[in-house]
Amino acid sequence: MGKVLVICEKPTAAERIAEALDERGKPQAFREMAVPYFMARLGSLELTVVSALGHLFTLAQRRGSWTYPIFDIQWVPAYTVDRESRTRNFVEAIGRLSVGAEEYISACDYDVEGSLIAYTILRYICGEESLKRARRMKFSTLTKRDLQKAYEERMPTLDFPMIYAGKARHEVDFLFGINLSRALTLSVKHTTGYYKTLSTGRVQGPTINFIKEREEEIRTFVPEPYWVIEAETTIEGKKYPLEYSEPRIPTRNEAEEVVKACRGAEGTITEINARSITQAPPAPFNLGDLQREAYNLFKYSPRTTLNAAEQLYLGALISYPRTSSQRIPPSIDIKNILNGLAQEPDYRRLTQQLLSKPSLKPQQGGKDDPAHPAIHPTGNLPEEKLTSVQSRLFDLVVRRFMAALGDPAVLRSVRADVDVKGHLFYLRGRQTEYWGWMEFYSPYMRREEVVLPPLKVGQRVSVSRLEAVRKSTSPPPRFNPSSLLKLMEDAEIGTKATRTEIIDTLFKRGYIVGESIDMTDLGFAIVETIGKYCPATLSVEMTRDLEQDMGLIQLGKRESDDVVAEAVETLKPILEEFKAKEKLIGVELNAALRVSQFKENILGPCPACRTGVIRIIRNRSTGKRFAGCSNYLKGCRTSYPLPQSGKIEPTRKSCPACGAPVIKAFIKGKRSLTFCINFDCPSKRGRKELGAAVSRL
Amino acid sequence: MERLCPVCNRRTAENDALCAYHQRAYLNLRDKYDQWKTALGISWNEYLREVADNPNTGEWVREVAQHILQREGASEVSQPTSF
Repeated sequence: MGKVLVICEKPTAAERIAEALDERGKPQAFREMAVPYFMARLGSLELTVVSALGHLFTLAQRRGSWTYPIFDIQWVPAYTVDRESRTRNFVEAIGRLSVGAEEYISACDYDVEGSLIAYTILRYICGEESLKRARRMKFSTLTKRDLQKAYEERMPTLDFPMIYAGKARHEVDFLFGINLSRALTLSVKHTTGYYKTLSTGRVQGPTINFIKEREEEIRTFVPEPYWVIEAETTIEGKKYPLEYSEPRIPTRNEAEEVVKACRGAEGTITEINARSITQAPPAPFNLGDLQREAYNLFKYSPRTTLNAAEQLYLGALISYPRTSSQRIPPSIDIKNILNGLAQEPDYRRLTQQLLSKPSLKPQQGGKDDPAHPAIHPTGNLPEEKLTSVQSRLFDLVVRRFMAALGDPAVLRSVRADVDVKGHLFYLRGRQTEYWGWMEFYSPYMRREEVVLPPLKVGQRVSVSRLEAVRKSTSPPPRFNPSSLLKLMEDAEIGTKATRTEIIDTLFKRGYIVGESIDMTDLGFAIVETIGKYCPATLSVEMTRDLEQDMGLIQLGKRESDDVVAEAVETLKPILEEFKAKEKLIGVELNAALRVSQFKENILGPCPACRTGVIRIIRNRSTGKRFAGCSNYLKGCRTSYPLPQSGKIEPTRKSCPACGAPVIKAFIKGKRSLTFCINFDCPSKRGRKELGAAVSRL
Repeated sequence: MERLCPVCNRRTAENDALCAYHQRAYLNLRDKYDQWKTALGISWNEYLREVADNPNTGEWVREVAQHILQREGASEVSQPTSF
């Protein structure tokens, strides 16, 4: 019996793949060194289906100490670099299970990362020879049907262009990341002896530069005053807003003149224009669209959305989420999907409405992805209870898919021009004439209907309210994780697989903070320093050129080794200059680090002296931390005890009961706690007494 | 000799009295004065107070406005002051 080793990306995927490929649909489950694997039979073949745990191999410097420049790198098992990595057993188990295999199949997710995961396993565990006997399964959903088809139509070889593109990306990113991050970290260490991990990278640099430019715009923004005329008319006892034809009036005098002329006057309808607008259905989601919509609707971070979408994919409920495509190709059996969804009572009426259409043509978006279609439901329904995040995202994907199959909506808009003493006002109405696709997407639509009464030209209308309201222009909005992701997508930096992680890293390093992203002093210092000494690494062009090179490798038009060699040549002069100016850079960064650390430790204003700030202080002899007022030397003795373990974050709020700062404490393995720092706060009195009474019992 | 920004103590550029950030904020502040003067007919000092109190004003602009107001004390200045 021929032995085939099937390599999957995650244990859940391995189980689904084994079930789909086993001729009885019941593969046998085993464990090797605590690693789950499955044995499936298919004709005369014995399939051993085993999974990785994401990347089992990673890059590391070949030899030498913790310094830079580093250009001599190699692929090594991830557990040798990251002590927390749980991958050692997987490497050894796959080594044992691969003995005697005649054929190998890469059944990892069909994208650059998946292809690279299987390649490194085959090359470094099963041996170079295995690459010649390896084939590739291509699939976009983990449904039985798609997996069986993917097996039957498996590629005759591995997808080498994709693998080489992935390998080049990892190597280039590693070289940029390790060298620039070490240069930053060591500049401070060599100058002051102080160690703090600082990092930047090929995509991190331009991304943080975007944030810095926006932050500068916001902080140097001077608002401009303007006035708006707010007016209302009452027709048949109902109030309607009257919109002045000039949306912004630049001076107070002009605004007051309008009010003076129109107050108490009657207007005349001079013209009525009505038109119907057709609104095409939305295209189905790609990953970026889904992350943005989930942020707008539910405030889910891109990371939360991606994680939940991956769980839905592993549950065979939706297609592969890491896709750029907004298109549903004809190969996808839409009817079958709708029939599957119709089993859910909430979707039954809507799916039947679609199934009764003479043809089902989805709205297609402009973006495509050669590897995967747009995110769509598979037609399977959840067998187990989903988490609330998963459940909301599943419904969102289903409804968006159905909306893409709906008819265009027809909206009717009416504008009546009202002349009031020579000033033009508009009376506007909007109504949905035909809901079309909007019916499928209605829980996620915000549409305000304004139904006007019957109007005619020459009709007199009263001006029941009229005033000039002073306003001022606003600065551009701060980025949020979702809009930053969109900007990276538009600028073509990073990939759908890496962008979310890069944003996470910027938060982790302390360069940016907050839901509405604000830059820290440390963030500013990093961008300023990099901008001064190696500006090329902040440039979008350089990153975008490298992205294009990766694309060319994938198309077989460039050699991956050449791209990596070019990256090394780009890096060499940058690092030489950095080294020559290391001391200057170290001094600048250290100053910023000190300011940032001081600010990080501030919990809020002191409620007693009102001029100092309460900050975290460590007792030099005991090493214990507490919070105390910065005016200690001026006589303010306000202090509070603090939890001795876990991370403490200020909330920028003061307790309404006692005025002490409110903090958030994160203790490993427990839920974060937000509380007033004052142990004797009057708001805690009841609870304390109750606690004391209980302890006496 | 190294000069420090009177608003934030950062180093200033060679020919500027303020650091790069506050200098940019100051230039924006000065540029927008004419618009405010036309709109409301106010003096430079009144303008600075309006801007300092406006919630949409950028942090560095507010710092510069407050610094100038503090520096000039009670004296009413009708035209933009320089550093």
